[in-house]
Amino acid sequence: MSQLNSSATPTLIAKDGTRILDGWALLNDEDVVGADGPYVLGFERALTELPGLNGKYGVRVNPGDDIRLLTPYMEKIALVEVNFPGYRDGRGYSNARILRSDLNYQGEIRAVGDVLRDQLFLMLRCGFNEFVLKDADPEGAIKAATDRFENAYQTAADARQPIWALRQKLTEA
Amino acid sequence: MYVYDQFDHALVRERNAEFSDQVARRLSGELSEDQFKPLRLMNGLYLQLHAYMLRIAIPYGVLSSVQMRKFAHIARTYDRDFGHFTTRQNLQFNWIKLADTPKILEELAEVEMHAMQTSGNCIRNTTTDQFSGAAKDELDDPRPWAELIRQWSTIHPEFTFLPRKFKIAITGATKDRAAIRVHDIGLHLTPKGFEVYVGGGMGRTPHLGHLIKSGVPGEKLLSYLEACLRVYNRYGRRDNIYKARIKILVSALGPDEYARQVEEEWNTLDQAAIDAPYYEIDRIRSFFPDPAFADKAFDQAALDRAKAADPAFARWVRNNTHPHKRDDHVSVTISTKPVGLPPGDASSAQMDVMADVADSFAYSELRVAHDQNIILPHVAKADLYDLYQQLDRVNLSTANAKKISDIIACPGLDYCTLANARSIPLSQEISKRFADADLTDEIGELEIKISGCINACGHHHVGHIGILGVDKQGIEFYQILLGGRADEKAALGVITGKGLPAEAVPAAIERVVRLYLQLRTSPAERFIDVVERLGRETFAEALHEPA
Repeated sequence: MSQLNSSATPTLIAKDGTRILDGWALLNDEDVVGADGPYVLGFERALTELPGLNGKYGVRVNPGDDIRLLTPYMEKIALVEVNFPGYRDGRGYSNARILRSDLNYQGEIRAVGDVLRDQLFLMLRCGFNEFVLKDADPEGAIKAATDRFENAYQTAADARQPIWALRQKLTEA
Repeated sequence: MYVYDQFDHALVRERNAEFSDQVARRLSGELSEDQFKPLRLMNGLYLQLHAYMLRIAIPYGVLSSVQMRKFAHIARTYDRDFGHFTTRQNLQFNWIKLADTPKILEELAEVEMHAMQTSGNCIRNTTTDQFSGAAKDELDDPRPWAELIRQWSTIHPEFTFLPRKFKIAITGATKDRAAIRVHDIGLHLTPKGFEVYVGGGMGRTPHLGHLIKSGVPGEKLLSYLEACLRVYNRYGRRDNIYKARIKILVSALGPDEYARQVEEEWNTLDQAAIDAPYYEIDRIRSFFPDPAFADKAFDQAALDRAKAADPAFARWVRNNTHPHKRDDHVSVTISTKPVGLPPGDASSAQMDVMADVADSFAYSELRVAHDQNIILPHVAKADLYDLYQQLDRVNLSTANAKKISDIIACPGLDYCTLANARSIPLSQEISKRFADADLTDEIGELEIKISGCINACGHHHVGHIGILGVDKQGIEFYQILLGGRADEKAALGVITGKGLPAEAVPAAIERVVRLYLQLRTSPAERFIDVVERLGRETFAEALHEPA
């Protein structure tokens, strides 16, 4: 989708529009996992090593990864980086919703990769709460996405009640 | 029909503001065409061979006279005075200026219409039986369910970047007029709940949908659809655009395995949070009551006298009316296919007349059928002759519904960047060949469908006679398929005989049709029945010039 004034340096920004410092490091395959570190593991490595690790880790999930394989390790995961190799690949939306709605995951879900301002509204609804944006105005992008639609027709992973529930409230009022 | 409340209005307004902003950024040069393309495609705006095309959603093909009049106004003001009704029960304007689109969308919003999700890899307009709520053979009205699906699927955050586009069709009648077996999901509304067919489709690899579940209760429909879509979104192929439709996934997994995965996913969903409750379904249903049927004294003798005095009217009544659940009413098909003109096109003047006759004779309601004709669902028999005369004045009285000249054709090489061959000129030549109305009547029901390339927008796979345009070393050639049908006995046509050059096609079809007339046991045995009884090879020889 469109990239407004694309900026070379990506910004990590939270869903409330505040910039955050990235304390996490993506481990290369040859790197040793330290104890309870701010390390992000690749998906395969996470499946292999999380059983023997204690503490909290991050996991990077690619579109084809079956997010439900992480079910046994939910208490060891504090960050899931959902990668969008291209914005047209919509599997990351399902991954985020499964994490929030099915696996009851409460940690951070970060959108990385081809993350564009016109997608943010959808991502917010699916339960993403951090974004790596290459947008020249990341705060403006978050604000536009937050303000664009007041309500939505369907239940998703955000706090919005579906429009059918709002209608019922109006009738009762 | 459904009437927007404050929530529906607000959502369309917000979406239009978003899109107007994107158009402004494109016009100012802030967005390149490459960057703008995916954004405009989310809102039905295509760049065709000659101009922008704007596709407007007509939810499940239902529209009011006010909306039809708005189309006429848009055609006059922003287009070249006509619009094109599509096989997806939508309307396309083919000569739109980009700078005008925000204004057009604003005008559409005034009459509760929009262009959302008429393109892109998302859930498209749900289509249904054009005689919903009127047909004698209807068991239950699919329109409230189509509206429920419209709302659920609008800006669905999880399903806006599917592997490919996604089309749902619903029927609630004994006869399937919605072609549910050639849709990504086909829903058959029965007294015992929904039968769900998945994985149908046309295109380069046609498939008939498989029944994966019966008895899905209406109040669980949305969560079940959500499970169907999630399995598709996660596992549908994304490496090859031609293998990305759900039919390929269902075929690769096998329908049983796909059904099992859907069931498993369905059980993980918080169904109570996803499914709209009874009161919302009842609220939506309350918008689809019967019209206040006029108890007009109907004089059969007077109708018979009018028919005797005006044989063209008699033919029109015979061919273009459909049995209504009330004996003193009928549904009327207004053919958009007069001999020699492009199927589906209507001028602004014709649209105005259709709106006017809908107000005078049809409780202000119209439908777009998937064969591109316009339907007046409820017309008192007492009004038929008055209605006919008004339609006749603007060339809307062609008496060819379901007949050989009632052809579905894609835009073809004349308009479309994908096409290999022309479709519309061929359909015009064929309809000219069968311009004799008596011959047309004698032939009876016969569906010809023409596509200008293997993407099959003209539905050639399910034509009784299907015609597929191909490019053979720079020359347009046409392959003929026989035996396809999209109804409750859905079947895919099979290529029969060798490809033909365009000029040979009308004569070949005439030879096939003449052979059918010889072979049928009675006029009640339709062309498609004879193909089924004797096999399509019976007709292979007739396709080619006798040596």
